[in-house]
Amino acid sequence: MDDPTYDTRLAEFETRIARGEKIEPGDWMPDAYRKQLIRMISQHANSEVVGMLPEGAWITRAPNLRRKMVLLAKVQDEAGHGQYLYHAAETLGISRDEMIDALLEGRAKYASVFNYPTLGWADVAAIGWLVDGAAIMNQTMLAHCSYGPYSRAMVRICAEEGFHKKQGQEMIIRYSQGTPAQKQMAQEAIDRWWWPALMMFGPHDSDSPNTPQLMRWGIKTRTNDELRQEFLDELVPGIQALGLSVPDPEMHYDEATGHWVGREIDWDEFWRVIKGDGPMNASRLAARRKAHEDGRWVREAAAAYAQAMG
Amino acid sequence: MTDQWPRYEVFKQDRTDGPFRNVGSVHAPDAELALMNARNVFARRPACVALWVVPDAAIARRTAEQLAAGDAVEIEDSGDSGRYAVFSKQSQRQTMTYVDYVGEVTARSVEAALQTAADTFTDVPGIVWWACPVEAITASPQSDLPGFEAATSKLFRMPNQYHTVFTMQKIRRGEEGEE
Repeated sequence: MDDPTYDTRLAEFETRIARGEKIEPGDWMPDAYRKQLIRMISQHANSEVVGMLPEGAWITRAPNLRRKMVLLAKVQDEAGHGQYLYHAAETLGISRDEMIDALLEGRAKYASVFNYPTLGWADVAAIGWLVDGAAIMNQTMLAHCSYGPYSRAMVRICAEEGFHKKQGQEMIIRYSQGTPAQKQMAQEAIDRWWWPALMMFGPHDSDSPNTPQLMRWGIKTRTNDELRQEFLDELVPGIQALGLSVPDPEMHYDEATGHWVGREIDWDEFWRVIKGDGPMNASRLAARRKAHEDGRWVREAAAAYAQAMG
Repeated sequence: MTDQWPRYEVFKQDRTDGPFRNVGSVHAPDAELALMNARNVFARRPACVALWVVPDAAIARRTAEQLAAGDAVEIEDSGDSGRYAVFSKQSQRQTMTYVDYVGEVTARSVEAALQTAADTFTDVPGIVWWACPVEAITASPQSDLPGFEAATSKLFRMPNQYHTVFTMQKIRRGEEGEE
């Protein structure tokens, strides 16, 4: 802030963003812009990495070979998406190791939706349609982000995740037209994942102090509540068309606004899970630490091989 | 805490007559393992016919903003001239790739190569320029091609293999959902 040219540079920076230009590594940027991006991108990367765990547990129990290949490919994509995002964050001056250490030591945040358990195969279907569906809405918005590396990672991720949502929706459709037991499986999975999916869009706009600055600098182009409303308007009629329901007795179509409206999210639960007190927080971190330790010999072998060949 | 391996920038070629484009980076203990990581991270889907990896430390970079500000491009006069590969970001469109390979220039240093590139390839919009010594590039071997082609058979990764929109429309019209 002692920089006498700060105001001029800030004005130029904001003009560039207003013109639709991407800010690239090496370009001038306010320190707060860099910090906000590191916070968001590293959380996003960690979410992809932890996001492998709830569904990964079901790979060995897939009902047929096709479903197994689909789920393997989806979980493999999430590992790749974590890498795209760690790369994007690194261009801002944080290292991959710092981010991974913060995750393993329990200091980093990730999407709290992954702190809920997957109790049945239909949860894989509901996660695809609801959780990946919500993620794609958020990521489609972030693809317009003013920071080049984050935008590019989002464009690639959105292109790849289309099938993540569709494979889940396809399963829910089939269950909804199947036996009563299958229909019930689908309904119970939707009941479990509905509220966690709505919480994925983040706190209520009035509790989201970063949003005005993020929007001013083109990091976000829409608010949490706008995206959450778009999700409701797409998903509620879709779920109802299948003869299924959302677990919200107050959900109704508001003629005046043309939007679906339900009851308020349980914000106490939202903050509790974010702060680490969700049903699966400890288990997820333990699984990540074990995976990191179990991979140690691979890293050591690779390093030894490179040294021997070098 | 692990010792972080060096970073390698990854360039992917989608078809044999297309440019190598920067898609992101990986960390690896050497170029061979960087290529292996790059394949896992960036070639799960078609199309990929070849990959390059370049150590991050070998690359010099300038954005248009930095070039316009006249950020010192130190031209060392001591070294012999060498061949440098140059890359540029060519559009502000929303895209999943960054800088494209443009060609080679002769220069006395990697920093000088950046300025030479901007002066040589005047018809290329240089929103960002990158340069590296040509010998810093490690290309995937021809023997990797069957591995890249394998991705083309994994159709279940393609959103167009799922007819959810069509099926939902049929259900809404009161028809059976199954195709």
